[in-house]
Amino acid sequence: MPPLAWHALMAFIVLNAILGLVAYVTLLERKFAARMQSRIGPYYVGRPHGWLQPIADALKLMLKEDVVPTAADRGVYNLAPIVFLVPCILIYATIPFAPDLGVADLNIGVLFFLAVSSLEIVGLFMGGWGSNNKYALLSAMRAVNQIISYDLPFIFAALVPVLLAGSLQMSTIVAAQQGLWFVAYPVFGQLAFVAFVVATLAAENRVPFDILEAESELVAGFRVEYSGMKFALIQLGEYAHMLGTSFLGALLFLGGWLGPGPAWLGPLWFLLKAVLVFLLVTWVRWSFVRIRVDQILAISWKVLLPASILLLFATGLWVATRGAGA
Amino acid sequence: MSFWVVAAALVASSLAVVLTPNLFHAVLYLAAALVATGVVFLLLDSPFLFGVQLLLYAGGVVTIVVFAIMLTERLVGERIAQTSRYVVHGAVVAAAVFVGVAGFLIQVPLGGPRPPLPGDLTPVIGRALVGPWAATLELLAVLLVVALLGALYFARTED
Repeated sequence: MPPLAWHALMAFIVLNAILGLVAYVTLLERKFAARMQSRIGPYYVGRPHGWLQPIADALKLMLKEDVVPTAADRGVYNLAPIVFLVPCILIYATIPFAPDLGVADLNIGVLFFLAVSSLEIVGLFMGGWGSNNKYALLSAMRAVNQIISYDLPFIFAALVPVLLAGSLQMSTIVAAQQGLWFVAYPVFGQLAFVAFVVATLAAENRVPFDILEAESELVAGFRVEYSGMKFALIQLGEYAHMLGTSFLGALLFLGGWLGPGPAWLGPLWFLLKAVLVFLLVTWVRWSFVRIRVDQILAISWKVLLPASILLLFATGLWVATRGAGA
Repeated sequence: MSFWVVAAALVASSLAVVLTPNLFHAVLYLAAALVATGVVFLLLDSPFLFGVQLLLYAGGVVTIVVFAIMLTERLVGERIAQTSRYVVHGAVVAAAVFVGVAGFLIQVPLGGPRPPLPGDLTPVIGRALVGPWAATLELLAVLLVVALLGALYFARTED
């Protein structure tokens, strides 16, 4: 098979697998949240335990009326969900799900992931601005604020495993964790993992950092005017981004597909670890309360950013004295 | 072939940045132009620069410009006619720059076979930045600090 056709086939498979996975991740989150609050969660659609709920939701959203506000900036408003969704799906391009199983194992894999996921903000403020709604605009402003603040700590935290492995290529980073997962790497690994999880929460706009959708004050934030399929695309992008970041966390810190058992279990281990990271983030989300804007910015600029720069610097020193890639 | 498609997109979006009457649309076109520039890097077999371009320019700079627009609230949604009193001067300068760049380009034979790449370029870029170009890199950092201090000076409260 020519390489281009192979990449296209892999892209098709990964895209569809991710879409299916994302739908069921929403069910997982709802069930998990329900359990935390002593509820049952979705139950009736597809007994037992509502396993048809995501499909029913998708169907409902597709059939709903598509409303465009009269005052909206039509072009920007209609384009926003797509601009938002594309980077969220594109980040999966460089994630290898097992050795040689992925769309493209670029030698700048981690950089590609970080770069593409930073484009998500463009779609977000297009939606917020194009809606011509004060809540949406406020939400977009808060989002820009927050993402400027948390992109850097997120990148620095993700660079610590890169330094430890001596490569930006995802498969090399996993291979470097053969003996010791980076989350277990003394001091550097744990600190970087904590910084990564905090920055992930903020980058994904989850509680306690969800001021940009804050239901009680901004209704639903930048997506307040969206309905039907466009709303579905935004939700899909959001969860795809969340799951993608979980995959990145599992790959950078939890050894990717490494695990006991035969090699073909690798993708399953990887999925399991990614879901664990996702549940960790969800756990925080459903346990904390929302904090104020100034608190969010203070945490980033006064604590997280200096700390992550120091950590990156210390890791660099350590790797330089130890010899890179060892 | 793919270069010409990207180049056309790049020129079109760059023109749109300066021609659109809506400030917010201009930023969006700017984002498109910056992504297209990144794709040009990609076509030149430099994926590292592509990533950096996306991260710093399309992700970072555009976000900061949007931030600035949103903070200067009187501009939001207002139509600003982008006419300049210096169109003629600008055209003269642009033409001069074009002639200069084109003058350099025609001295070099184009379309020749490309020399093979020495393997992975990313470590080469990294070594060059902390080796022969370390002083330049540090000077850039100083420049950014000066810009930051200038911004702080303008943003300070008058007391």
